Amino acid sequence: MSKVLIVDDEPHLRLLYETELRRVGYETMTASNAQQGLEFVETMKPDLVILDIRMAGMDGIEALQHILERNNSIPVVLNTAFSSYRDNYLTWAADAYVTKSADVTELLETVDGLLHQGMKAEQ
Amino acid sequence: MSNTVLSTRDLVRDTLTLILAGGQGERLSPLTKDRSKPAVPFGGAYRIVDFTLSNCINSGLRQIYVLTQYKSYSLDKHLQRGWNIFSYESGEFCYRIPPQHRVGQKWYMGTADAVYQNIYLLENRRPSYVLILSGDHIYRMDYARMLKHHAMHDGCLTLSAAVVPKEGADQFGILEVDENWKVVGFEEKPRDPKTIPGDPDHCLVNMGVYIFDTKELVQELCLDVKRVDSHHDFGKDIIPALVKQGQVHAYAFRDAKTHESMYWRDIGTLDSYYETAMELVSREPQFDLYDPKWVFRAWQPPVPPFKSVHGFTEDGHLPGRVEDSIVGGGSIISGGIVERSIVGRSVRINSFSKVSDSIIMDDVTIGRYAQLKRCIVDKDVIIPENFRIGFDEEQDRRLFTVSASGIVVVPKGMDLTDQA
Repeated sequence: MSKVLIVDDEPHLRLLYETELRRVGYETMTASNAQQGLEFVETMKPDLVILDIRMAGMDGIEALQHILERNNSIPVVLNTAFSSYRDNYLTWAADAYVTKSADVTELLETVDGLLHQGMKAEQ
Repeated sequence: MSNTVLSTRDLVRDTLTLILAGGQGERLSPLTKDRSKPAVPFGGAYRIVDFTLSNCINSGLRQIYVLTQYKSYSLDKHLQRGWNIFSYESGEFCYRIPPQHRVGQKWYMGTADAVYQNIYLLENRRPSYVLILSGDHIYRMDYARMLKHHAMHDGCLTLSAAVVPKEGADQFGILEVDENWKVVGFEEKPRDPKTIPGDPDHCLVNMGVYIFDTKELVQELCLDVKRVDSHHDFGKDIIPALVKQGQVHAYAFRDAKTHESMYWRDIGTLDSYYETAMELVSREPQFDLYDPKWVFRAWQPPVPPFKSVHGFTEDGHLPGRVEDSIVGGGSIISGGIVERSIVGRSVRINSFSKVSDSIIMDDVTIGRYAQLKRCIVDKDVIIPENFRIGFDEEQDRRLFTVSASGIVVVPKGMDLTDQA
């Protein structure tokens, strides 16, 4: 079963994503800030990270760079309410960029797609 | 690719230039003991980076970042003093960018990593094109022509290719092109280099001069950072990946009219440094420093003109003599002989001494009766009276560095007073 790490400072979104991801069969873990998220990346080695961009303290773009530096094989989905971050070239290094929405279909499809791709590569 | 034909002026204004100037140049040691390769003095008045920077200015490119890394003090000082010629208020600039560890804590892993770690520079400016150059080659090139070529052809990357004889081409990155000059293969130092279609005697060598569409460059760098097995290097990773996608076009670096290959030297070793420099003192060198249409700039300190005077002996006087040589400003040859040599600035060559087939850098003093041949003397060295270099191999090897072909190199500031 694939493990998905959700890094977001909004509790209700963490709850929503957890519920939905578990419903379709993923194992989940959550972090409420980037620093904690990076620790979990190191210690728990998730199969995929959903990363909020705008967070207090370290933002998601900086956290992405740290993940790329140390664990660049873990796919990262940037998840933000703002489409304007796409203008930031550093966000292009993420595997996907999904705009936040109450409808989680796109997020789930993206996660499925990336993990499925990874499984194919392993086979 | 743009379908609208843009003027050269528009193209150069929409291009950001990145000069990679972090090269350690270990094979040029001891010349690179205290400086990076682009900062190594060359030709009596220049540093190696001056050729690339002069090419930029002469091509109209005036938005330049110089990415430095190792031992950058000497290069920083040189750029500060010699290249403070930009009109910053008109949007021109030449900024030195040391590693800022914005992305992680590591030094640059490869050339592509150096650009990736500075991606914010592209983000701030958002140019249509990025010209990537190496700060350690000697050549004369109009990048604006290449930009025009890039804008008129398919592919997100155009790389400049030097035309070299097949013999010896196995030391370079070799491009294989189809009849439309699309790059279809790229190999680093292949045993049997592919030749140009219709010209079985010549090969195309990657010169490390790249023009990218900015968007595709950023995309490719961001993909590369995810590749676990990547060296994060343009030559090893980015170019092969883009060649596979059919995105790379070659620009032949040769004379537009005669189709003859043009001068380009990658100074890798002490021997190639020596040979390249010595070409300058031949009668009609292929590389012309004296063309008023393409001036190579350098830091010019306020030194008086070169002077050659008689030395005095008991019998009368002894003329100072210079033949087949370049001598920098502020130097005085006082009764000594200089032949087939390159002498820097503020060098003093005293009576009865003889310098032949050598490169003497700035602020060197050569004592009376000293004899030097086939050597490179770095800055700030005092050669004692009667001292000989290039005559006694055993002594030379004990005191100095000797290159593969026997050129003796005296490092910067070496104190020889106890050796005399």
